Amino acid sequence: MSDTVILGRRQLFMLPTRFGLLFAALLVVQLLAAINYGNGLAYALTFLLGSLAVVSMLYTHRNLFRLRLAAGTCAPVFAGETASFRIHLTNDSDTPRFGVAVMHDKKEIARADIPARGSADVNLDVPAVKRGPLAMPAVTLITRFPLGLLYSWSRRVTLDQSCLVYPRPAEPTPLRARTEVSLEPATGIRAGGDDYIGAREFRPGDSPRHVDWKAVARGEAWRVKQFGGGYQATVWFDWDTLAGLDTETRLSVLARWVLDAEHDGMLYGLRLPQQALNPANGEAHQHECLKRLALFGLNP
Amino acid sequence: MSAVSVDRRVLLSLMAAGGFAVAPHALELPAWIIAVFAAGATWRYGIEIFQWYRPGRLVRFSLMLLILVAVFRQFHTLLGRDPGMALLITLIGLKFLELKTTRDFVVSLFVFYLIILGSFLYGQSLWLGVWALLAAAASTTALVHLTQPTGLDLSQRLRLSGMMLAKAVPLMLVVYLLFPRISGTLWGLPADAHSGLTGMPDTMQPGSIRSLSESSEVAFRVDFDGAPPPARELYWRGLVFTEFDGRGWQRGPVRRVEAASFVPQNEAQRYHVTLEPSNKPWMPALDLPAIRPRGARYQSDFTLEYREPIRDRLSYTLTSYTRYNTGALELAERARALQLPPDASPRARALAAQWQRERGGPQQVAQAALDYFRRENFVYTLSPPLLGEDPVDEFLFGARRGFCEHYAAAFVALMRAAGIPSRVVVGYLGGELNTAGDYLIVRQSDAHAWAEIWLPERGWVRVDPTGAIAPERIELGLDAVRRLEQQGLALGSLSNEAMLRALELGWFEHVARQARWYWDYTNLAWYRWVVDYGKERQERFLASLGLEDISWGRLTGLLTAGVLLITLLYALWLWRPGKSTDPAQAAYLRFCRKLAHAGLTRAPYEGSRAFAERVTRQRTDLATSISEITRLYEDLRYGRVASDRKKFTALKKRVAAFRV
Repeated sequence: MSDTVILGRRQLFMLPTRFGLLFAALLVVQLLAAINYGNGLAYALTFLLGSLAVVSMLYTHRNLFRLRLAAGTCAPVFAGETASFRIHLTNDSDTPRFGVAVMHDKKEIARADIPARGSADVNLDVPAVKRGPLAMPAVTLITRFPLGLLYSWSRRVTLDQSCLVYPRPAEPTPLRARTEVSLEPATGIRAGGDDYIGAREFRPGDSPRHVDWKAVARGEAWRVKQFGGGYQATVWFDWDTLAGLDTETRLSVLARWVLDAEHDGMLYGLRLPQQALNPANGEAHQHECLKRLALFGLNP
Repeated sequence: MSAVSVDRRVLLSLMAAGGFAVAPHALELPAWIIAVFAAGATWRYGIEIFQWYRPGRLVRFSLMLLILVAVFRQFHTLLGRDPGMALLITLIGLKFLELKTTRDFVVSLFVFYLIILGSFLYGQSLWLGVWALLAAAASTTALVHLTQPTGLDLSQRLRLSGMMLAKAVPLMLVVYLLFPRISGTLWGLPADAHSGLTGMPDTMQPGSIRSLSESSEVAFRVDFDGAPPPARELYWRGLVFTEFDGRGWQRGPVRRVEAASFVPQNEAQRYHVTLEPSNKPWMPALDLPAIRPRGARYQSDFTLEYREPIRDRLSYTLTSYTRYNTGALELAERARALQLPPDASPRARALAAQWQRERGGPQQVAQAALDYFRRENFVYTLSPPLLGEDPVDEFLFGARRGFCEHYAAAFVALMRAAGIPSRVVVGYLGGELNTAGDYLIVRQSDAHAWAEIWLPERGWVRVDPTGAIAPERIELGLDAVRRLEQQGLALGSLSNEAMLRALELGWFEHVARQARWYWDYTNLAWYRWVVDYGKERQERFLASLGLEDISWGRLTGLLTAGVLLITLLYALWLWRPGKSTDPAQAAYLRFCRKLAHAGLTRAPYEGSRAFAERVTRQRTDLATSISEITRLYEDLRYGRVASDRKKFTALKKRVAAFRV
């Protein structure tokens, strides 16, 4: 499995459409007329149309042939939301491709025209039901271009791409006992207070609002300004405080807490069986926490 | 199939396709039928554009009944070719009003294909063939539009369907030529009316051949297997007139014989005739035909007659001998060949009696008559005066101006008066050799009349009195006579040289004639390969490929193999390895190969810039050219302008000049 598939001869199939069968019936009628009247032009027209159908077979095949499918990224979602996969369809040939339908689960989810040496993007929306990695489902390409007499389809294409599904956040839940809450001098970026208390190195996930842009403009390293002066709450969200609930509910509640804490600008840490994340905040930290929750107990 | 909102542009494509398909029928069917079709299409367009009244189911049903009644009133039946086509065209016009789904559109287009085929039942001219190809392209373009309503503009759709049809043509030709043809039909054919055809008359009155000389219509075309005989031997025998009533000539009774009974005296001529329809059964044959083609009767006067009036082009192959001895003459036939109305042409009788006394033998009498024509100021003319009650005497002793038929008739009357069995033969003389296709075109204007006298030792002998007055007619053909006459030059008075000079064509006439010949040849080829390409011609074609007596099974196998072969060739072209993705990249890869030869290989993960930096560190001497090539490549590959010819040329040049 790879994240790019090129449709070759062995991946493509073809059959006549209903109109193709009707066309065949038309040809039979025309041939009978030609034979009966011994009419040379009627023979010629009948055979021309028959040959046209054969040629259209090649054109229909060509419309999918060597089309490149690649998976784009998929932003993480919460269970219950819709994961949106992106598929790049790339045409490396000099022939534009028209009316390429992307099918999923026997339903057409999108139809694209792909210019010569160009590409088109198609979104594949899949409901995210369960937490954990959601593999991109198989898709099939179908086309009836150019005459609609035949349709060519690809075998099911599975691209190596998945979307991370966070646990569905629970309803707002009060923090349980044994949740450690402490007030510490604030050192985080999001900490309350307006006093500048120094700078530290930029880490991915830091908000651009706190980047010291003037320093960047001077050509110095990226640094993040930190403010403080007040006190900041530090919380530990602990798996064990939720004893008595089932695993999924616990994960939901923890996810909710993570979201709320991030929203409130608290420093928060996460303690799960056999693993822990030290208190911090920021988008990257939140993602890391939610990821641990999403993958908790699943085989790596 | 899901309902499509009727796309106006797709509707227009459909209307155009319908217009192309129906147009040829306007020449054959009553105008109101075409009008109904046009009205249906226009109405629908009006509904889409101007919100015209949209007819409900009941209205549409009533209109359909109305159409059925109208077609029945027009043709008094609903079966057969004409009412069938009329129904197809009118009902598909009505169908426009209820087009809704993709299926409706597709069915309409398929019916258009049928309507195109229907037009071939009225004729198979080259023009119709060309038009039908256009109509098929229009319907195919509409089918493309329907399948792919977006993304392609009209010219792209036209190009696409044109390309597809062009690729279909080789396949079509293979199937067309090899598909086993049968003779005869599967069911009966509807009877058609034939009229308005020209051809040789059944009787000969003074002036009846001359009226043909006005017509430049082609009578028939001849393809000789060997070299064609000289012009003076190209006597095409049509009909023989034996009975004379003093004014006009008739055929008289003929017997049907199984085979020709004459002794050939030179080599056989084998040739193929393509006869234009004449609505008469006569089949012209080179004097004298030895065999009888299929469907023809051989008559005792050495003429060929088809089993029915010829209403379609007819091809037949014949063998003739231009020198022959027909032997003895039966008594009854002899009596008929001497018959002369007792009170007609007294002066001619007297003259003939005088020759008989003075000269004796029949050959000498015939020569006396020819000498008489030559001596006595007879004129061969295309515009002879009208003759009265006794045309023979009036012509011989009065007007002395006449056309071939006057000379032939007068000559035969003189011979009969002198007791020599004789008769008039009409047919064609000569023909125009079409050098474009190496065949002879014989026109109605080449119609000719001559005489035959019976001599005891030689049988029937052809005597052409016209040759005595106007040898140019025999040697050069009627067209030359006409042109000489137009220049005011008297026939028989010119030296050969002067005549040839007078007949020389200007460059324009020369080109025009050449063009006319090519056009005629195109039409003949069209006839041979399209209209007349049936079982016999297919057998001849296959024999020319060395495939005599091939069975249906093997022929079908050959056909299938041909189709598969061409399709496979197309497919291989389609599956050919793709071109290197980008010419700029190809040039850059060449540059990398050159460096690799020097041991500087680009790692798969290395971008062009990183690679350039690394290489420059190792080979500072190449720094300038490496940085230039890398910059150009990056500009071309990742720059905003997709393709820049100048930069590309520069890149190619630098890479070519690059030496490690």
